[in-house]
Amino acid sequence: MPRAKIYGYLAIIVSLAAAFAFLYFGFYDTIIGRPIPSSASYYAIAIPIGVVTLAVLVTGFWIGWTILTIQVVKPMPEIVEKKDYAKAKAFLLCLATLALAALFAYGLYLQSFWALAVPAAVITLVILGMVFWVGIAIITTRNTLPADKNS
Amino acid sequence: MKICLMSYRGNPYCGGQGVYLMYIARELVKLGHEVHAIVGPPYPFEMQGVTLHRIGNHNYFNVPDFVKPHKPFATFQPFNFYEFVASKLGIFPEIETFSFRAFLKLKELQKTHRFDIIHDNQCLGYGFLLIKNLGVPFVSTLHHPLSIDRTTWFEYPSDFSLRVKRVLYYPLIMQAFVSNRLDRIITVSHDSAKEINLAFGVPMEKQRVVYNGLDSSIFHPLTGVKKKRNQIIFVGNVEDRKKGVAYILKALTLTKHKVHLIVVDGGAPNRRFVPGWIDRFGLNDRIRFMGKVTNEELVRLYAESEIALSPSLYEGFGFPAAEAMACELPVIASTGGALPEVVGEHLKTAYIVPTRDPEAIAAGIDTLMDDPALRRRMGKAARARILTTFTWENATKEMVKVYQEAIDAHR
Repeated sequence: MPRAKIYGYLAIIVSLAAAFAFLYFGFYDTIIGRPIPSSASYYAIAIPIGVVTLAVLVTGFWIGWTILTIQVVKPMPEIVEKKDYAKAKAFLLCLATLALAALFAYGLYLQSFWALAVPAAVITLVILGMVFWVGIAIITTRNTLPADKNS
Repeated sequence: MKICLMSYRGNPYCGGQGVYLMYIARELVKLGHEVHAIVGPPYPFEMQGVTLHRIGNHNYFNVPDFVKPHKPFATFQPFNFYEFVASKLGIFPEIETFSFRAFLKLKELQKTHRFDIIHDNQCLGYGFLLIKNLGVPFVSTLHHPLSIDRTTWFEYPSDFSLRVKRVLYYPLIMQAFVSNRLDRIITVSHDSAKEINLAFGVPMEKQRVVYNGLDSSIFHPLTGVKKKRNQIIFVGNVEDRKKGVAYILKALTLTKHKVHLIVVDGGAPNRRFVPGWIDRFGLNDRIRFMGKVTNEELVRLYAESEIALSPSLYEGFGFPAAEAMACELPVIASTGGALPEVVGEHLKTAYIVPTRDPEAIAAGIDTLMDDPALRRRMGKAARARILTTFTWENATKEMVKVYQEAIDAHR
């Protein structure tokens, strides 16, 4: 079987298995009415949120690291108008992303509600914000010529 | 051969991709091949013998009125919404979405056309991995790795926020991943091949160098046009750090001859820092910006000038230097990237200086200004070099050899 097809089948199997595990472990306790959801329920929700959160934090760290490590030739003194603090800011960005990642991991370890709620809120609000932006743009877009152009 | 070219931007007036597509398609048709082109906007003009397949996209970069009144909900379509979100986060999604849309178009075309080869032009989106699955040999032209653009954008004047934007903007991980999975990578100079190997890890044996051509029927010396004394010319985007404009300005303060510089660039909106530097160097009366000009006007400016400058920190090929050479103008070029491959021999076909060396540029200007005979001789040799080495006809013949090699390897 060609390699591409093997990857295709793998993608189908993995996505179906993950979807089943997510629904079963994430919502089963709630559906059968258990008062305190199990660890499995917590991590079923924590894993997808964690993947997205870590992707965002890794991207932030990677940006900082790239800025820190790319060697830049010093400019000619004649054209310099301001000091360059980019590397210091990049270092702070790396530190901040590492600290947030550590905090997030610790929250997951404690099975904290807030460890999931805060990133979920940020991700949801960003997506909703984008949809809101498009909605505003649709409402405010002129769909007929203004009166003076018609005349 | 039945060839499918692909270019995420097809119009020759909107960047190098369109120019490349236009000439390669035209020459392939001349050689008797059947040529189709899948193109993104801005679309190319109709080309004789070429079947164009246009695919759309939604451009959300710096476009405040992005909702089209006749299709208000189009932004909510999956590819469009991805483009919208990515653009607003500073990511450049155009080539990625083009690659998926091109896959869908190719899948549809495969029902009626059986292509012998697919040739992409510097897109390298993830969608190409799906195209590879269609079982057609697939090559891509990579003019130079974008990692070089990113690095040069880090040079002064660049602050933290600009650097963050540039890291997000360039899809280097995707291009590295995809370029290693295509049948062949065509590049435009040996230096670019080396850089692609360094940046993306594409093995040298998988790359083929096919030099770009130059249309010498457009770029040629004009008879009856008088040279303007002490006029020199620079063509390029002055804000692009790769072009080394700061070093030209410094050099102008060091020359014995009080030369005047003509700058052909993208126009005033594209000038942010350079006007301030001109003030600092006290060069206001010696520099004239021409903005965007037509090819005819550019050829006239070359004809009126005595020297062209191309001291780039890096060029994958260096069209402005080649154009000036085709117009019999002596060029002062740097050793940046592929420029030495294009301009040839020092003091024969060009005056070559190290990169970032204003003293050497100034010495070059004075040497050439002092010696009109050398300028004439160099100009003639430069045009001869362009006519023998850099023609689209040669480029396309070489390209067909690469196609054949990819097809044979695929069997």
